[in-house]
Order: sequence, then structure tokens, then C-alpha cells
Amino acid sequence: MTQSVVGVVGLAAPQLEAAEKVDGSARFIADLNRPGMLYGAVLQSPHAHARILSYDVSRALAIAGVRAVVTGDDVQTNWRMGAFIKDEHALAKGKVRYVGEAVAAIAADSEAVAREAAAAINVVYEELPAALSPHAALKPDAAVIHEELANYIKVFDTGSAGNLCSRTSFREGDIEQGWRDSDLIFEAHYLTQAQAHVSLEPCGALAEIDANGRITLWSANQSVFRVQANVCESLGLPMSRLRCLTPRIGAGFGNKMEPHVQPLAVLLAMKARRPVKLVLSREQDFEMVRARHPFDIRVKTGVKRDGTLVAREVEVLLDGGAFADDSPGVLGYALLMSCGPYRIPHAHCHGRLAYTNKMRFGAFRGFGVPQITFATETQLDEIADALAIDPIELRLKNLKRQGDRWLGGQPIASCGLNECIERVRTASGWNGGRHRAGSAGSRRALGMACSAHISGLLSTGAIIRLLEDGSVLLNTGAVDIGQGSNTVLSQLCAEALRVPLDRVSIASPDTDGSPYNWGTTASRVTYMTGISVLGAAAEVERKIKEHAAEILECSAQDLELVPGGFVAVKGIPHRRVGFAAVSGRAHWAAGGPIIGSHSWVFDQKTVDPKRASVVGLPFPQIGAFVFNAIVVDVEIDETTGKSRVERAWSACDVGRAINPQMVEGQIEGAFVQGLGFALFEEMVWNGPQIANPTLMDYKIPTFIEAPSELYAIIVESNDPGGPFGAKSVGEIGINGVAAAIANAVNAAVGVRLRRLPLTSERVLEAMLASEQK
Amino acid sequence: MASNPALFQSPTLTEALDLLAAIPGARPLSGGASLVAMMNAGLVEPAALVSLTRIPELRGIRVTADGGVIIGAATRHNEIAADPRLCGTAAVLPHAAAQIAGMAVRNMGTIGGAIAHADPGLDFPPALAAAGAVVELASAAARRRVPIREFFVDWYATVLTPGEIVIAVHLPKPKPGVGLYLKHARVSGDFAIVSVAVSLARDGEAHVAVGGCGPVPLASAEADGIVSSDLSASALAHAGDLLTALANPVDDVRATADYRRLLIPRMLARALNDCMAASRSVA
Repeated sequence: MTQSVVGVVGLAAPQLEAAEKVDGSARFIADLNRPGMLYGAVLQSPHAHARILSYDVSRALAIAGVRAVVTGDDVQTNWRMGAFIKDEHALAKGKVRYVGEAVAAIAADSEAVAREAAAAINVVYEELPAALSPHAALKPDAAVIHEELANYIKVFDTGSAGNLCSRTSFREGDIEQGWRDSDLIFEAHYLTQAQAHVSLEPCGALAEIDANGRITLWSANQSVFRVQANVCESLGLPMSRLRCLTPRIGAGFGNKMEPHVQPLAVLLAMKARRPVKLVLSREQDFEMVRARHPFDIRVKTGVKRDGTLVAREVEVLLDGGAFADDSPGVLGYALLMSCGPYRIPHAHCHGRLAYTNKMRFGAFRGFGVPQITFATETQLDEIADALAIDPIELRLKNLKRQGDRWLGGQPIASCGLNECIERVRTASGWNGGRHRAGSAGSRRALGMACSAHISGLLSTGAIIRLLEDGSVLLNTGAVDIGQGSNTVLSQLCAEALRVPLDRVSIASPDTDGSPYNWGTTASRVTYMTGISVLGAAAEVERKIKEHAAEILECSAQDLELVPGGFVAVKGIPHRRVGFAAVSGRAHWAAGGPIIGSHSWVFDQKTVDPKRASVVGLPFPQIGAFVFNAIVVDVEIDETTGKSRVERAWSACDVGRAINPQMVEGQIEGAFVQGLGFALFEEMVWNGPQIANPTLMDYKIPTFIEAPSELYAIIVESNDPGGPFGAKSVGEIGINGVAAAIANAVNAAVGVRLRRLPLTSERVLEAMLASEQK
Repeated sequence: MASNPALFQSPTLTEALDLLAAIPGARPLSGGASLVAMMNAGLVEPAALVSLTRIPELRGIRVTADGGVIIGAATRHNEIAADPRLCGTAAVLPHAAAQIAGMAVRNMGTIGGAIAHADPGLDFPPALAAAGAVVELASAAARRRVPIREFFVDWYATVLTPGEIVIAVHLPKPKPGVGLYLKHARVSGDFAIVSVAVSLARDGEAHVAVGGCGPVPLASAEADGIVSSDLSASALAHAGDLLTALANPVDDVRATADYRRLLIPRMLARALNDCMAASRSVA
């Protein structure tokens, strides 16, 4: 572990943007305006699946104040975008594939006029049979959703055919031998629901085109670089023509990583030759962006009588919705995590992803792992019950340890899971018994679950410039979506250069000026970008020392950075020179301005071909594992079946907490979002139509639903490869919440529910059914 | 959102009622908690809005000479939740008021608006039905009083005629006893899946009503008669069955109709048992 020298790493520094968020001056996409700006509106598809026969936009264009109308006719057939499969146009072209899909967009002088014009567009459809579930979509006679699927560009071996979007399989050991070696085999079927992201800020974009045809685009996003790639792919533009910028972001949770209305805003701006702002309503945000995948999961686990896990088969079927988006990644990643943090010698984890006539499903905090963990971690409790082993002891017996290999074969560089479990076991008083006295008319018990996640994948960079006065400008291209990465990356930079935090400023991401960053997603910014920040800082340090060696007339090897922005001769602190003098010399006399840069791509292989056989691998290089153990104390009302999480302990091995306060915030936030997933959040479809696309009908937890006591426990395993030992924290805390709550419900009232959410209705029904047995 | 309707700020009730009579499609606006949300959702498009917020006689809570309580229609939920005069058997009302939506809505919403929209998910209708309330209505032409159990007619429908508004809610003199509002919702602030309102006097007189299970709050003199004379488990079950038979719940994103029916007797028993426990602790 690298010690903090200036005390910036490990400091609970307030968010750099705290003041502007408190006083309301922070500007989000809806707050931005440009001179001459028009307002956009979208016409949405009323059909789940239909051919578009014709458009009549004449009535819309005749309305005073309407400046441009765009339809599928404005994009070419081969202009398709997509992270894994390029299957999606900027808006519906030729067909509509879900209710709510954008069919046309309008730019007008006011939002009201734009909406009026949208209603005046006449589209003639020929309705087609719709496939509304993955089971229906994969039937041989199902209507084909993407006729051109075979010709689409794909970034890995997806195995696509018919309505099968992708398939993935991991095999390790010999599963048939595993079943033979097992004393007992457990098998069950699990269902999870669609969950909406409900970011505080709905999606939106503002595009402006200059006289030379170059476009500037601001949008609610998690990566200016993914916005750039998606818009340019879907509109046939060279990437150099489009500059993407970011305002402040009101959270993402995955729904702002891939495109929403950015291509539409740009298309409208190009056609109107005026700036256009298009911001979705809350209802449209529910209907048009993306949501967490419903999973259909079968888990089969073989064990020895002593509790040793021997074999695991997981089979999943995902509803991908109308476009692939991040779904192939979610499928592959969920399977990669489906043996959990346990030693299981024989495994076969496989699954399929189907196109359906619903809104696309995509990235959502946890990326498939909350769903898989609900199934696997509740099955572990069933095994523990059957074997009469304490659930924690069963897990400890089978835990992966530092140096073990993950499913696929990647070594685990650091693992604090054992400590996570011990911390939540002790803090919750687990050993004193799982059943607690509830209030009158209720029953109460503890439940637990473990999970893992990753911190590293894909590429990233950082540039650090030492300004003339010796202050520091950091530029990473990583969008802070509210979680605090600007602060954390600045802390890493300040610590590396041994300057106070207020000496560092961080540039706002800009595709023109920032180094590439794949995105603020997959819990990767602190680890991936942090490593680049330290790499760039090392180059700056080397250059500072070269100048200082000249100034102090000594060898650069004899110099060290000392706190406060100085470089001094080792052991002789008063023989020093300040960064301002060094930078002044560089700017005006010798060498040129000091710039440090670093970029890298995560290159540890997911799969070791000597250990595992994998088909359809969407992420060939992914890793840096983090771990979590959760205990919850849940009370169930016997009258209604309603569950309330009274207390919770969530311990996360984050490697190192660069900013402990923000780490705790992530653990707490992830817990509460997981609580909504566990107990009541569910997007419901009435036929092809989302029945609850409003905050009146779709409920997320309030502070009243949050546990009365929620303990975020930080475990620091100090990863040897991470920046100052850090790994990640953004997602790990959500993965095990639903499983832990389901395990507590089972302990309290003796019912095992294998379908989420655990609504009061489902719990009460199961309680009454079990009483009748 | 609909176009902005004209807003009239009336200083007196007479003027407000005259405006409502004169402008077809005009709607009275008080806290706006229901009306503005419905306008935002495009469910109503009033021709004009007549604000009632500056009419003093519609605001506040008064106790009459005979001990009855009059709650002005423009009294806000939080004022009702905090008023100590709504005690004993009338305590069901502040208990319900405190569970309506969230703090922002409770600071804005008014009791008149809440009942005039007859939203079956709201909390005041069953609470008022248990409290034995009488609603006072006024139009430019006349005033009248309607017992709360006759006020609600159907989904989002009341006995109110065009141009007529709720001006007050009258409660009988609170008796010593307890009032309780048991609400079951997915999360705090959501509409009730099922709610049960109870007023239980120390002399045994009891009134119960159920919300969330149909277009109007469920209540019956027969059920009240049973729980007024017998609070045994079998009597509560009988009363619960009577109220369940009146239910006409729907399947929606909150719960199924079957679950709602299942909950009526369970929650009724729970609420009355909680009331008895509270009476004992008071006594």
C-alpha cells in the first residue's frame, strides 16, 4: 500500500461541485440554451411491430413555427449504430419495433408547437405480428424483428440467427463429472423483472451546427466519446465533424451510456441549420431509453454433504428488447459472474438473448449481476438449509481467495471478501441467531448474500498540464455523472504530485480536447482513469525533476517531490524549487510547457484457453475484482406480507477508499436502489404498452423505505495494480441486495420466493399457501 | 401540457361561485395537488381556473357551540394532521392526513380538493366515512349538506353538480376514544392498495370504512353495528366479510383485486385490534 503523503488520498473531501449543486447554479442539459435555439419533440410509434408504408408531414410543416421535420427517410439504410451489434438507426426506418419508438422528430420555435406538429404527422403503418417475450420471439414461427440481422456489423461472435440476438457459454471442468461427484443436486427456476433507472434527470440533448457544418453536441451522457461514436455511426458523419461536450449530469445508472436522443437532436439541427434542444419527458424517458433486463434463470448446483460446492450449471434467457444495445455484454458478463465468488470446479454457464418488440433493455447498475445473484445466492441458502449448515459458514467454506482464478481463468489479484463477511457477521450479531423479535403482528430475521464485480475494462487516458504558475490542470474525458469522479481523480492527481487538492482543476470532458475515455460505466473510472492519472503525473514529475535538476545543479535522481508544490534534493528539504519556477522555465526558456499523458487499455484476458472453453465472449479483457457481503434485518408484516428492511450492513472490498465519504455514498445508494429492485420496483407491460411509465405508478424507495440503520463498511484489500490500491465501488453494492432480502424473508416467514420483486402480495400469498400445507 | 387557462383570484365565496356558474368548464383551484397533476397529465383541460385561496371563510378549523368541528374546504392536509382538536374518535382524520403523499403535497393540498376529485386512491374519503362527516356544498344558487357516505357516487364522481363546490366538512363532536387510519401502500406516499379507517368510541360505538377497493369508500351501517357491539375475532371477521362483499376493486400496477379483497378483513381486524390496544394504553 502506497502511503498518502499529503493526506489527499483517503480524505473525505467534499465534491468539487457541491456548492453549485446546493445553490442550484449547476447547469444540466435542460438548463442549457443557445441563441436562436429551437425545441424538439418526438412522434412515437403506437405499434409494437409494423412496417412504415408512408409519411405525410405536410400538415406538420404548415404549422407556424415549425422549422424542420425528420423521419426515417432522412437516414440511410447502412447508417446503423450499436455497441455490440450495429442494428439501430437514429430513428425508425422501414419498420417500428416497439411502442414508443421514435418515428419522426420536429424542431419548432416552442415546445408546444413542436408537440402540436408531432401530432399532425400522418404515418401509414402495416401492422405485423409482435413478439412480446423472449420465449415467444424464439419460437420458429415468430415474426422476425430484424430481417437484415445476418448482414449487421457485430463486434464479436454473437451467433445471431432469427430473433436470437446473441448467445454465450462458459465451460470449466467437466460438468457431467461434477454431477457424478455431487452428493446432492439442487435445481430451481427464477424470474426477475424490468427495472427503470429513474435518474433524477431525464435524457436530453442540444445540438448546434456552425457555418462550416461542424456540429457541437451537449447531452445527458455517461461518455462523450460513446455519444460521438453513436451519432456519427447513425448519421454517416466523420467523427472529426462532431464535438461532444457535457453539462452536469443528474445520474445515469447505465441509461445514459449508449444513445438516446442525441442522433435526433443532431439530425434536426442539421436540417434546420439552427440549434435544437430535445429533452424527454419523464414518461418518454420510461418508454424510449432503456431498462434493466428481465431474466429467466435456471440454476443447478451440485454439492458434497459437507457443503463443498462441486458443480454449477446456469442457464439464462434474456429479453433484449428491440435493439441489441449493451444486451450481449450483459448476457456475457452475467454468466461470467454466475458462479459467484466461490470455488466450483465444474461449471457450465450459458444463455441466450432474444430480440423482442419492446423497448431495448441495456446497462443498469450491476449489469446483469443483481439478477444472477438473486438466483444463485438464494439457492445457496436453500443448500445451507438442506445441509443444516449456517449460510455464512457454507459460503466461507467455498470462498475464492486471493490468487485463485475467476471463472474463465483470470487470477484474482486482491480479495477482501473474507473480511467483508466477517465484518457484516460481527456487526449484525449474526452468530446470536438469525431470528429477531419483531414488532406486534410481524416476524423478523436476518439474511445475507455475497457478490463480486469488476473494475477494469476497455481504454482510457489522462493528460496533466503544469500551468505557468505551477498549478495543475487535469483532463481525462471521464464524465462525472454525479458520483464524484471529478473529485476522486483530482485527489489522485494531487496526491501523486504532492500538491493541495485546490491546486488541481479538472477539465470538462470534450471530444476535441480530452483523451479518450470509453465511459463512466462498469465501475471503471477510479481504477482505469486513476491509473492513467498516475501515469500522466509520473511523466509530469519526471519533467519537473529534469528542470529542477538544471535549476538546483544536481542529478534528477537525487530529487523528490515534497508536499506543497516543490521539488527538493532528497534529504535537504531547504534546497528546493517551486513548481511555478519550474513551469516558468519550461514555458519561457527551455524544454517547452510540461505536459504528461498516459493512456492504456485493460489487457488481462478474461479467458485462459487452457482452463475454460467459451463461446460468444463479449468482453475478452475484463477484470480487477471487487467483493461484497451484505446482511439485512427484515421485518415482515403478517397482515399484509409487506417487508421492511430495518437494518442493513453492506461491506465492500473496494481496494482502497480514495474518498471514504463518496465510497459510503455509493454503497448506501446502491443498497437503496437494490431494495427497490428487491421489493417493489417493476415495469409492467399491458400487452405491448408499458402500463406504468410515470412516477405516480412506478415507485422507487423514498427515505422512509431506506433502512433505519444502514451501515456502509469499507474493506481495503489494496489491489497491487490499482491507483493507490483502489478498485471500484459504483455497482458492487447493489448485486446482493435482493438475494439477501429474499433470504431474510425466507428465514422470517418460511417462504422461498423465486420471482422478483418480493411484493407484499406475493409474500402474503406464499405465507398463506405454506400455512395451508 | 395543456394551454394555460385564465386564472381568476376571487376574494369572496360569492364571487367565486358566480364565476363558476358563469364560465362553463371552469374549475375551482385550491391547493392544486390533484387538479394541477391532472392538468399536467392531460386528463382535464379547464376552461378557466377560479382560485379559492384568498377566501378566508374556506380556511381553517372551528369548533362549534355543540362541540362539532367544521373544517374549511381550503384547509391544508398538514393543518389537519397537526390540529389537536381533532382528537378522540376524530383522530382518524389527522392520522390519515399525515399519511397523504409527501410533505410537499401535504403543505399544498386541501381537504376540499381531495374529496371533490373522488380519487378512489386518496386517504380522506375512508377517514371521513369513519369519522361520520357531512360535506357542505355551495353553488351560486344554493347550499346543501350531504353525508359523506352519500357524497361519492362512482369512479372520480360525486354528487357535485356543475358550478357547485365543497366549502366545508362537518364532523360530529369527537367522543372519547381512538381513531386510526391503517394504510397499506408499496411505498410511503403512494396511493393505498387498501386502507382501513376506524373510529372507536370508549362507549363502544364504532365506525369503519375501507379505501382503495372500489370507486367509493366501503362502509355500511351493518358493519358498524357489528363492530359497535362485538369486537371478538369472529365478529371482526363477519364485519370484514360484509365490507369485502361491497368491494369492487380492480387489478392495477399496485396489486390485484384478489389481494385487495383478501386484505379487507385482515386489515380491518388489525386496525380494530390496534385501536383496542391503544384504548387500553390510554385507559
